[in-house]
Order: sequence, then C-alpha cells, then structure tokens
Amino acid sequence: MSIARGDNRALQIAAYALAGTISLAFLYPYWWMLVSAFRATKAIMAAPIRLWPETLDFSIFAEIAQIGGVPLWRYIANSFAITGLSTVLGVTITALGAYALTRMPKLPGFATLRTVFLVAIMYPYMLLVIPVYLVMYKLGLLGSYAGIILFLALGPIQFFLFEQFFRKIPAEVIEAAIIDGASEAQILFRVILPMAAPVTATVALITFLLNWAQWFPIMVISKTPDTYTLPVALLAMNTELGANFQGIMALAVITTLPVAVLFLLAQKRVMEGMAAGAVKG
Amino acid sequence: MIETLDVVWRHRIFYLFVLPFAVLTILFGLWPILLSIQVSFTASATALRPNPTYVGFANYLVVLSDPAFLASLTKTFLYTALSVVANLAFALGVAVLLDSALLTRGNLFFRLAIFLPVVTPDVAGYVVWRWLFDRSFGAINAMLEMIGAPAFAGLTSARTAMASLLIAELWHHAGFYMIIFLANLSMRDKALEEAAHVDGATAWQRWRYVILPQLKPALIINTVYALIQFLKTFTVVVVMTKGGPNEATNFVSYYAYQLFDQGRYGEATAMATILFAIVILISLTFYRIADREVAA
Amino acid sequence: MAILRTLLGAAAMAVAGTLPLQAQQLTVWHDLGDNGIKWFEAMSAEFAKSKPGVTVKSLSFPTDQWFGRVIGALNTDTAPDLIYNNYERVIRIQDQTGKVSDMKDVLAKVTDKGFLGEDDIKVATYKGKQIIIPIQRVQMGFGVRKSWLDKVGEKFPETWDDAKRVANKFRDSDPDGNGKADTFGFGLQAAKPRDLIHMLDLFLFGSGIRNTLIDPAGTIMVDEPAHAAVLEEFLKTYTSYKFVAPDTINHSFPEMYQGIEGGRAGMFRVGDWNVKKWDGEKVLGGDFLVGPWPKMPGAAQNYVVIGGMRGVGVPENAPNKALAQEFAAFMLSKAAQQASLENVGAAVRKDLDVAALSPRSQYFAKAEARLIAYDFPESIHTFYPELEAAYHKKLMSGIANPPADWKPFITETAKEMRDLAAKLKAK
Repeated sequence: MSIARGDNRALQIAAYALAGTISLAFLYPYWWMLVSAFRATKAIMAAPIRLWPETLDFSIFAEIAQIGGVPLWRYIANSFAITGLSTVLGVTITALGAYALTRMPKLPGFATLRTVFLVAIMYPYMLLVIPVYLVMYKLGLLGSYAGIILFLALGPIQFFLFEQFFRKIPAEVIEAAIIDGASEAQILFRVILPMAAPVTATVALITFLLNWAQWFPIMVISKTPDTYTLPVALLAMNTELGANFQGIMALAVITTLPVAVLFLLAQKRVMEGMAAGAVKG
Repeated sequence: MIETLDVVWRHRIFYLFVLPFAVLTILFGLWPILLSIQVSFTASATALRPNPTYVGFANYLVVLSDPAFLASLTKTFLYTALSVVANLAFALGVAVLLDSALLTRGNLFFRLAIFLPVVTPDVAGYVVWRWLFDRSFGAINAMLEMIGAPAFAGLTSARTAMASLLIAELWHHAGFYMIIFLANLSMRDKALEEAAHVDGATAWQRWRYVILPQLKPALIINTVYALIQFLKTFTVVVVMTKGGPNEATNFVSYYAYQLFDQGRYGEATAMATILFAIVILISLTFYRIADREVAA
Repeated sequence: MAILRTLLGAAAMAVAGTLPLQAQQLTVWHDLGDNGIKWFEAMSAEFAKSKPGVTVKSLSFPTDQWFGRVIGALNTDTAPDLIYNNYERVIRIQDQTGKVSDMKDVLAKVTDKGFLGEDDIKVATYKGKQIIIPIQRVQMGFGVRKSWLDKVGEKFPETWDDAKRVANKFRDSDPDGNGKADTFGFGLQAAKPRDLIHMLDLFLFGSGIRNTLIDPAGTIMVDEPAHAAVLEEFLKTYTSYKFVAPDTINHSFPEMYQGIEGGRAGMFRVGDWNVKKWDGEKVLGGDFLVGPWPKMPGAAQNYVVIGGMRGVGVPENAPNKALAQEFAAFMLSKAAQQASLENVGAAVRKDLDVAALSPRSQYFAKAEARLIAYDFPESIHTFYPELEAAYHKKLMSGIANPPADWKPFITETAKEMRDLAAKLKAK
C-alpha cells in the first residue's frame, strides 16, 4: 500500500509500539490472574504487582477442592456437560429450524416464528431470565440439568450464521435433487447437511465458547450449587465471611483456561464466524 | 382455512424440522416475556399465586414516579452513550491500525490479544478487573504510585466508578467490534484509494472521503450491537460495584434485578418492560436507518 | 429421527432431573459458608443417631443470593425444609412471602430450654408468629491489632478519645512496619443499607444508647443530643477524620473483611463467628484483642453488643415439614449447640464446654463482657426497613459530599425521617 511504499521507518515503529502497548494492556489481566493464583492472599495484598510469584503456592488448589459444600471437580464436570450438551442440542435444533425457515419462508406461521425469535433475543437478557424461573417452575424443570441445557440451546449468533449459510445455497442444487426424485428428508440429510459441515463446526465452536461463559440463567434455574458451572461458583465465592482472594483468582484461571485454549486452537474460525454472524444480524 | 391446513400438511416435514426450534423459542422466549408483562400488571404480593390481583398500570406509575428509577434510567443512557462511542472509536482505531501495511508481522498476535477477552467468561474477567481497580490492594493504583501519579479512585467514587466499568467492559467487548471493522476493511475497494493517491489526496483525505464511507455497514452493525449491549449492562455491575457507590452505577437492569430479589415482582417486571420497549424502539429505529442506507 | 431422539433425551433428562432425591433428606439454606456446612454435617451425624436414615444437607449461598432464592422458592412452593439466618433477615422473608411457619408449638414441646430468656423469644417473634427458633446469639465486640498497639505504644482503647488517638497513629506511624503509608485506623463498611447502619448500630449501642433511628414508641431519635453527638463522630470517621480507607463508601462485608484480613485496618468489628478464622495462621494468626466498643463522650458505660439472634425457620410449604420441625428442635440440644460453638463460634446454651476454645473465643462463649442487646425495631415497626433504607441513602449522600458542619445535616436528616415515618405509618 501507499504508506508502506513511503518506507517510513519511524511510522512503522510507532505503529508497533502502539499495537504492542494495547495488546499487552489487554493481556495483563490474564497475567495478573495467573500470578495471583499462585500467591498467598497476604502476599498479594502486601505487593499487588509482581511479574512472577515469590514462591509457587499450590496449596490453594487443595483449599478450593471444595467450594460451598460442592467438590470443585463437580463444577468442572458441570461446565463441560452443560456446555457440551447445550451446544449439541442447540446446533441440531437451530440448524433444522433455520433451514426450514429459510427454505420455506412463506409457509404459514414461519415468518411469525422468526419475528418472535428476533424479538425474544432483543429482550434484556437478565430480565428474561427472571421470568424463566417461573417458566421452569411451571414445567417442573427447576433445578434440573435439562432445564439449564434447554434454556442455553438457543442463541442469536448461531441462528444468524445458519440462516446466512442456508440462504446462500444456490436454488439449482436443491432443484437438481428434486428432479432426481429425492424426498425433502433426503435433500436435507444427503445434500444440505454435508455442505453445511464447516458452518456447523463454526456454530458449535461459538456456541460452546458463549455457553461456557453463561452464569445468570444457570444460577437462576439451579436449586442447589450441585448444578452450578465454574462461572457461577466463581461468583458465589464472595460470602459474607470474607473473600478468599487467592482462591478467586485460582478459580478464575480454571474457568478461563479451557476456553482460552480452545479459542487459540480455532481462532480463525471463531473470529470469522463471529464477524459473519454479527454482520447478518 | 382448509387451504391453509392443506398447505401445512403438504409441507409437514418442514414443520417437523422447525418444531424443536419453535418449542424452545416459545417456551423460553415468548412465554417468559408474556409472563413478565403479565406480572407487571399484578400486585407483587400476589404475583406468583394462581389468582393474582391485577392492579392495572399501578406498578408502572410507581416506577415512573420513583426518582431513583429515573436517575437510574438517566445513568443507563449516559453510560450507554459513552460506552458506544468509546468502544466504537477504540475498535475502529485499532482495526485501522491492524489493517495498515505497517503491521504485517505479528498482526495475528495483536488480533488474538484484543479478541481473547471476548471469549473469556465475563465473570472471570470482571473479577480480575474488580481487583485491579481496588484502591488499597489493586495493581492499577500500585502502578500509579510507582510512577508518582495521583491515585485513581476507581470503583470507590461516584465520579470514576462509571469510567472504571466502561474500561472493564471495553476490554471485554471491543475485540468483537474490532473484527467486524476488520472484516469490512478487508472487503473495501482498494483501487479507489490508489486512484485518490494518484489524484494527490492526502492520507487524511483518503481516509475521510474514501475509506470511511465504505465502512458504513460495519459502523451501523456495531452501533446497533453496542447500543443493545450497553443498554442491558448487568454482569459487570453484579461483579464489580453492585450498583454503588452511592447508586452511581445502579443501571436499570440491575435495579430491576434487585427489586425482583426483594420480591417486588410487579415493579421489577414493569421496569423490565420499560427497558424492553426502549431497546426495541432504538433497534427498530436503527434497522430502519440501516435499511434506508442500504437502499440508497 | 435425530429430532425424536433429541426430544426423548430431553424428556428423559427432565424426568431424571426432577425426581425427589430421597424422602428422608432435609435441606437447609444458610449463608455461613464452609464453617456452617461443617456444622450442619456434624449435626446431621448426631441427628441420625436418633433418626436413622435421615440426612441433613446444608447449602450456603452468599447473603444477597440467599434472600432472592428463599423468597422465590417460598413463593413458588419450591422451598427448602429449613432456612437459617439472622432474625431480621427471616423477618424480611416473612414480609415478602408470608410463608414462614409459626414455631411456637415446636418450641413448647422442647423441655430443655431454660437458657432461652424472654428477650430471646421476643426477638424471634414477628407479628404474633414465632418465625425462628433461636440457635445462636450474635455478639459483636471491638477488635484491635495487638502488634500494632505495641508498635505505637498504646493500650486497648477504652474511650472514643483513645480510639481517635490510636486511629491517627495507626494511619500515620506505619504500625505494620512495611515502610508504606497504607494502613488505616478503622475497617468499616457502608455500601448497602444494612452495612452502614449496622456500623452505626455498634457505635451507638456500644455506648449504651438503646436505639439507632427510632424508639419503640415511634419517636425519631436521630437529633436527640447524645445520639447526635455519636452520629457526628461516626460520620466524621468516614470523612474528615480520614480514619478509614477512602473507598469504604463502596465497601460491603467482603471488602471490609479484605481490609481487616489484609492487614490494612487496625480497629474493627469482631463477631463471635469471625474469631475462629482470625485465630487461624493464614489470616490474622490471633494477633488481635477483643473488648467492648469505645466509650463515646458522655456515655456512662461501654459494652459488647448482642446484635440479635440467628435461628432456624421452617417454611409452611417445606417438603418434609414435620421432620424439619423435629430437626429445628434438635438444634437446641447440647450436642448440636456444642457443634455450633465449635464450628461457628456462637450458641445460646450456657452449659457448653469452652475449655478447648481460644481466649478470644472464650471471651464470647462465656459472655464475660458487659452486654447490651439491640432493640430490634423491625419487629415493632413494620415500616422500619423502608425507613432505614431512606436513612442509609441520606447518610450516604452526606458521606459522599460531606458538609462543612454536620449539625444542620443531622437536623435536616431528623426532619426528613420524621416526615417519612409519618407517611409510612399512615399507609
């Protein structure tokens, strides 16, 4: 580009300095979280900033092995189970729903359903969750994994990504299949879904990342901490009996690590997918 | 009628496809919203009973004549406006920086660093920020002290609490807006800039008159997303301030949630409905503007 | 097929998730954290001796979540068997739900209860209903870091003037010896209504003044001279005296504890339930003294404050109500009370074994200090919570923007409270 042709060394250094500073500022909270997880609460308070812990204090992981009467492994297992199952369920249901709605938008009720969905996602989320308590109660799903998983299954970005993909499928592809005598089920399972494998992977990935971070619906639908996931447990660690500083940071690390790793492994798909899903919306 | 039924029957397979999606949308989207609206017309004490007492618009009147709610609404608007501007300006600036040919090497690292907070569970991120800002034990003040700068009051003063939340939320959200700008930037017509360059346009003129107009789609999308996002600001308040200090960050969604927790269901849901109406109004307005822009 | 399988799976999960776990399990919700969980485990084991097969499962929630959960659960008939908390919090639950059952008959059947005084029963009664069985008396003394006192050459402050002198030294003479001016005289809190008023309660009652805002007859006491004098000193403690961390206005319990446990605050509230943790090596290592609250100018005597009563209530719609009532009565037995003392640091019985406790724990367990009890306005004036919330808001606005002279502020506050009380009474 033109600026580069100018070979402006000073400008380039300034650009790197700026981008570097911003990036480090964005990464610093992670570093601080990690370092603090290995420092005793007293030490953190005496000297908040350290580039490296004075000693690696692992004792905290034994201390938080039990949080609020529930073993830590259970929160971890809940996080994986709830996030995993809601992702599988959400991707399946959203793919089928978005396919039907884009393929046959004029069928009676379809446009209404789409509008209802669009309005629902505009409702202030945390205020939607509160009446969801009553809905779950009426359905007998309060405190159940099923209630939590079903609630987390739907989300806007997932729907938009599928809708956008299905809209771009050329009509000829489907017409050709119809001429070949394929039934609608066959068209979906033999023609469309194989084509949709990449977008399905993207949606699954994004759903997993988003649902991992969920806390409010899980807290509201749960009757006991037995169904809490990691973020909810993290929030529940501030009790009136004082906060366990080091414990909170250690739990924050455990909460963040799985999704950070997953994101770094699949960063291209995640960033492109999120941008695409948003652009549609 | 029979015709419609016939159409439905002939396309029953599509109804089967859409059924689970429809069930979930109705159960966990439509029903709670209707329930919430219904509760907003009942007396709190009876709201959850089988036969609630309906009180008409009484809850709305109470809410709208509550100075604390009006103050909360004003604060919510102010915070939303500041956040939208700050996030979009920051995201746009970073996107342009990362898009420039100056930063070819290490570009991915910068993108990852700024986007990572988007996928970090917000509770975990805000828990860290809450302590970074801490007046006595926080890293930010420790750093300021090191360089001899005056202390930053952070979450402890009404004046700086909002700014602190804004910074923490910008950290969490800006990466999302950035990638949308980046996607838009990568799709633009670069030949136009070459032409402008040949015509002797300065860098600023090229940016202002050639690049920026092409970023309109991303600007509109980001504005709508950010508006909806920040009007509903909640988690960061729960984790970092609980509405304080002295109500300075008691935004509408948190206020409503507090009332709900105290069993004041009628007022809480009335607030929710009011906020919902505002969000819908703003979104529709922007969608309409966006449609006109696209048409033009 | 995929859909059917998904739906069937969801249905199966739904059924599995909602089946009652076990008929003989009692669930209790409290906010006492891990110590409380251990206490209920110990009681569960003891209870099972006479009731084989019954287990008691306790869940601890952060206090604000505890409220929302209990209110929601009682209103939707998804209540736990027992709820455990401070009496004034249970009153709030009763106000919002009307579903806390009367425990009068349950207590009547308990024979071994001579240790409960008339006041204890009065506290537990709200609008003619006994909503809790009193289980733990809540005592709160005044704590000071021992090593800090030694460093600045002071003794445990008896009067408010002593306390002010010590607070100045704690702030200015680096009592922790870390070379930084990062310590404060007091570790207090203010953020939520109960936070600030609770601190004020302690300053007032600790000097023998018997009410905080309103007396039993309904008179607003804010600008009564002895009261106003304490209030002014209290407000100055948060502002011009610079005795507390500047962010105290935003502090609630967790932040207050952070300041105390992090070694930034030299003088603070010590509840009987705090001692066990603070005796521990990881926190203060027992480096603190406990005594009565400092004597304010004009006060005749100073005291350790009995800040009410924690107790157990049974919701009307508890799934195993009869068994829950039995367990509630059992919580007064010697074994259960001993477990309470050992795990949470408080009890109501006086015949417990305290020899194994630390000196600081014994101070509370033996109730050897001069004691003064709260007045419990919320059990007399139904509008009290709303009045107190307005009082908190007013004091907070003063602390956020301190006036040069507090006297007109206090007069103005008293007037506003009088107007509001009249309005609320008329409702």
